[in-house]
Amino acid sequence: MSRPLRLGVGIGWRPEIDLTVERLPGVDFVEVVAENLRADQLPESLRLLRERGVPVLPHGVTLSLGGAEPVDRQRVAHLASVAQALDAPLVSDHVCFVRAGGLDSGHLMPVPRTRDALDVLVANVRAAQAELPVPLALENVAALLEWPDNELTEGQFLASLVERTDCRLLIDVANLYANARNVRTDPAEFLDAIPLERLAYVHVAGGHEHGGVYHDTHAHPVLPEVLDLLRELRSRVEPPGVLLERDDNYPTDTELAEELAAIRAVLAER
Amino acid sequence: MTEPQRDRLAARQAELLRALLAGGEPPQGFDPAQLRVEANALLAKRRSVAAMLAPEVADALGQRFRPLFDEYAAAHPRAVDSGARADAAAFAEWTMARGELPAPADKSRRWWQLRRS
Repeated sequence: MSRPLRLGVGIGWRPEIDLTVERLPGVDFVEVVAENLRADQLPESLRLLRERGVPVLPHGVTLSLGGAEPVDRQRVAHLASVAQALDAPLVSDHVCFVRAGGLDSGHLMPVPRTRDALDVLVANVRAAQAELPVPLALENVAALLEWPDNELTEGQFLASLVERTDCRLLIDVANLYANARNVRTDPAEFLDAIPLERLAYVHVAGGHEHGGVYHDTHAHPVLPEVLDLLRELRSRVEPPGVLLERDDNYPTDTELAEELAAIRAVLAER
Repeated sequence: MTEPQRDRLAARQAELLRALLAGGEPPQGFDPAQLRVEANALLAKRRSVAAMLAPEVADALGQRFRPLFDEYAAAHPRAVDSGARADAAAFAEWTMARGELPAPADKSRRWWQLRRS
């Protein structure tokens, strides 16, 4: 098994903050939403970052690997073409579904954690892996509802997925926080259950509470509780990379730099 | 072979999305409060994407944007072959058909294309 790639601290590249991302000090890597890119028309900002040697990791949001339908090969081919254009060391998507019964949810939906769903997910992930030029990392999503069908904990489900597909993990500690708040996931049990040696990198993001529910908005500051979970994860394994996601309601460059500094501070703790 | 698993999963996932997006019956066993929260979150996400892709339409509608979009979305759940851009465009057409927005003077242009002129 290959050693995980050292990535460092990064931020999600978005067109709205392209200059900010270029200017921010100490951005070791970035991530881009693969569906928003075309391999033959890469934004100038990403070319610049690549010229500087900054890894750019494509992040998929529409493979629907947890969906009941076989994986859409065109979507996988798109992700592969973007990965090749960026010379990316790995790509990612989510443990979720976004399409069912002819409808598009428009957002990442949790899959029922059943043995049926695991079999289907494993088959879809293997089909995607066969068409991808680089390793695939899969991310835990934030759930606002619980499937009554669940037979496994989220940690057990992800552990089985890794065991059967040899995929990497992209662990989002903000999603873990959201699930602890909203659907009673036990973060310690989750971190104990997943194979942390397969960790590719970590997501950190902000959110807010509304009506007693925590919403993973990527449009608010990162909560101290989310950094606590990063700390908890780091007490078990040195994460190869940690990436801040901000998708809306963009703050000043200074505030983003402070959020990156807060992540660095957690990683530097003894 | 994963056919039986796929069939069972397909039925459950379709039932859930119909309930969340298309006014379908709540699937058995789910917490009704969680279904409401999820349905509202998906609607809010779709609305914010439409506002981002066609800000002229959202700006022109002002306070009416949100109730009109929510009414449109309830009647037109997004089909798998319809992208977010097509959704924003369809909403603009829908508002014009209802007389909520004037049709653009230049018939060859659409509301959501004005920004790119």
